[in-house]
Amino acid sequence: MSISRRTFLGWLGAAAVGTTLGRSAHAAGSPHFTGYPDALGVLFDATRCIGCRKCEEACNKVNELPAPARPFSDLAVMERKRRTDARSYTVVNRYENIVGVKGPLYRKIQCNHCLEPACASACFVRAFTKNSNSAVTYDETVCVGCRYCMIACPFEIPTYEYDKVLTPRIMKCTFCHPRLIKGLLPGCVEICPVEAMTFGKRRDLIRIANERFAQFPGRYLHHIYGEREMGGTAWMTISGVPFRDLGMREDLGITPAPELTKGALSVVPVVAGMWPVLLTGIYAISQRRDKIARDEKSAAVAAAVAQAQADAKAKLTEALAKAEKDKKTAIEKEVKKALEEAAKAKAQPSAAAPGAAPEKKSS
Amino acid sequence: MMKERSLVRRTGRVLTLVTAMLALAILSVQGSAPPAPSTDGASKPRADIIRIDGLKQFGRLERPAVIYLHEKHTQALSQKKKDCATCHLPGQKYQSIQFMRLKDTTKQEVMDIYHNNCTVCHRQTAEAGEKGGPVVCTGCHQEREVASSWKEIGMDKSLHYRHGKAQENKCEVCHHRYDQVAQKLVYVKGKEDDCRYCHLAKTVDKTISMRLASHGQCLDCHRKRLAQNKDAGPATCGGCHDAELQKKIQKLKDVPRLMRGQPDATIIQAVKSDGQKVEPFSRLSVVPFNHIGHEAYNDTCRACHHSSMEACGKCHTLQGSKDGKFVNLQTAMHRVNTQASCLGCHDGNQAEKRCAGCHASIPRKDPPDLAGCASCHMPKPAAATAQTEPKAMAAMLLEARKPVVATYADEDIPETVEIKTLSKQYEPAKLPHRKIVQTLVKNIKDSKLAGSFHRDPGTVCQGCHHNSPVAKKPPACASCHSQPFDGRNLFKPGLQAAYHLHCKECHQGMGIEKPAATNCTGCHKEKL
Repeated sequence: MSISRRTFLGWLGAAAVGTTLGRSAHAAGSPHFTGYPDALGVLFDATRCIGCRKCEEACNKVNELPAPARPFSDLAVMERKRRTDARSYTVVNRYENIVGVKGPLYRKIQCNHCLEPACASACFVRAFTKNSNSAVTYDETVCVGCRYCMIACPFEIPTYEYDKVLTPRIMKCTFCHPRLIKGLLPGCVEICPVEAMTFGKRRDLIRIANERFAQFPGRYLHHIYGEREMGGTAWMTISGVPFRDLGMREDLGITPAPELTKGALSVVPVVAGMWPVLLTGIYAISQRRDKIARDEKSAAVAAAVAQAQADAKAKLTEALAKAEKDKKTAIEKEVKKALEEAAKAKAQPSAAAPGAAPEKKSS
Repeated sequence: MMKERSLVRRTGRVLTLVTAMLALAILSVQGSAPPAPSTDGASKPRADIIRIDGLKQFGRLERPAVIYLHEKHTQALSQKKKDCATCHLPGQKYQSIQFMRLKDTTKQEVMDIYHNNCTVCHRQTAEAGEKGGPVVCTGCHQEREVASSWKEIGMDKSLHYRHGKAQENKCEVCHHRYDQVAQKLVYVKGKEDDCRYCHLAKTVDKTISMRLASHGQCLDCHRKRLAQNKDAGPATCGGCHDAELQKKIQKLKDVPRLMRGQPDATIIQAVKSDGQKVEPFSRLSVVPFNHIGHEAYNDTCRACHHSSMEACGKCHTLQGSKDGKFVNLQTAMHRVNTQASCLGCHDGNQAEKRCAGCHASIPRKDPPDLAGCASCHMPKPAAATAQTEPKAMAAMLLEARKPVVATYADEDIPETVEIKTLSKQYEPAKLPHRKIVQTLVKNIKDSKLAGSFHRDPGTVCQGCHHNSPVAKKPPACASCHSQPFDGRNLFKPGLQAAYHLHCKECHQGMGIEKPAATNCTGCHKEKL
């Protein structure tokens, strides 16, 4: 098959355009994930919750968590706002003095099991798994304890067993994954006396929520918290008051966490791979620099020595020459002196004996 | 060698720059909170807050609108024995409610009026050694929040009666209409309308806004009467508009009926778009309307007659007309989210404590249950002939459906009901069934609205025994409610939640605080 130059250039151009456009659609090229088709979920209806803490009790029981300091029947613990910790996967908080509401309202807090979990996206050892039933589960065997997941989670859910020195784990709600597999309801859902939590397929729950909005006009705010927040969560909340009044963040936006982080995180492997090269390079450069310096120094020393030696030699030669010269001069001087003395001595006998004179002439 | 060293240094610099940019980007994403506007949080809420932003009509405002406290100025002026005329020019008929002008001319002129007059007075006051107002731009033009207690006021039956009495029933003192031919305001006896029919929220052509009209006419009269030391209404902002002071306005209990040619009872007449009346009973059974009764239930005529004193069918024709904004008769009568429709108003009344116990948990259906239609739509009475007048027909029909809250005989209502199906951790719950029914009935006995819709003895029972036909012995709850989260009907709660939710919502709706929802043993004892 032969390709004309024109066709080739055409393909090249198309490829170039395709690459740039493709990037703009999905940042790092991974597809948008809208959740598993039959993903399960829970719809929490804040207008129904009575704040009995039965869900906390059931959660503690089915997950075999340590007994709390104060019993679950003690509703006074709700006097302060609590959050999940290593000993409790879920807590119910009470919110009072809300404008337009007579009594207090309650909100159950637990892992929302994001469709695209932030914790999983932040974990570099893949300790978190998004299961097809919606549960976000954790594998302690691979966890290195970096706690990036705790920082990544916008709902402040994962917690850490700080009191365990050797085997600390990240602790968070599992959506009762082991129970779901067995066909059982999550502990909290099962015990709730008022069905404040509706369990079902996520898409059905959205339908139910919208149906409730229509059937009870004025009772609800027409917004399902978690339908789109952070790309969507399996646990969703509906309420009759603004979600901020229930201590929920309204600034999260609808972009899934991996979408926000994958640009930066995609660089991590590159950086991780680059580090040895970079560091070795810097090491090599500094090594080379040292070597050069060393070489230069020794060369200079050698040169200096040579110079000094040459100088010394020259000085010696000069000194020797001078000594030779001095010697010669001295000899000559002595010779001259001797001759003069000899001549003088000859002249004196010539006066006495003129025969001495012709001797001087011959010298 | 030098070259290599600078390369490392340059890499370092680039890295620092990138880090800084990232940090900046993150900060900007999180968004910095705007500086909180200064608030007069400590001061009492006021009803005299005027937002001076009239220049808006000439384009975008260059500076923040001025938050002007009217009573602060009137008090300061009255101390100096100065009156309204200091700031308000005498108009053609009433003193202008605008500041130092009769109408808005141009941007520059209006702006100058404010700047020259306000600052001059502020400066003079300060020069006189008193506390003067601001004289620099930002002194007045600043975003600030002042707590407001302002509430709209309207003429209710009681207030209308008191005004009529004070004016010796001279309706023409206030009421007028525009005569198109004579091109002037005239008074026509028997054609008095609500002010708001013509005086809308904004001035349209020559018809001034409700705000201008009321502050012109009402305030002018109040002030004149006050000057004559006569019994008069308030002449301050708060006097009419402060939410708290409004409650103190004298309210008469039994206001004599206000007559304007309205019927005691009538038939809701359907009219075709060409103005032709539909013969009653020719299509649907008709609705007799107890006009005199509804006059008593409402504070104003405009509660129903929202845009005109005409009969509903005049604008809301069968098919809808332009005059009725194409809201047809059916919609006008049945729309639920408005006070002006039958169903909307009736629906709103269900929020009352005595009704909410049952009605708050009854899901809204659209269209509503057809079984309820017959409560209003009635068949032709046997005594009626072709010659029977609509008013007489309506009276006949209304007589046939006197409101009454019916219920079964005491012995037919079980005294207690033991809920034991679910008993596991707790003993069975003993429901004082008859007492509950009797209390519900007693609470609504006096309500004519309730009486009109609870005529069947089984209707009250439907508060709990819902979604099943009305019967003396309705099915047990467990007949429908069983396991929760049935994938095929997720809307139906499980049995336990059905009980708890229903009991809780009724107690909540009726304001019954004991036993608390979390007090399990308040309803069923713990098993030992």
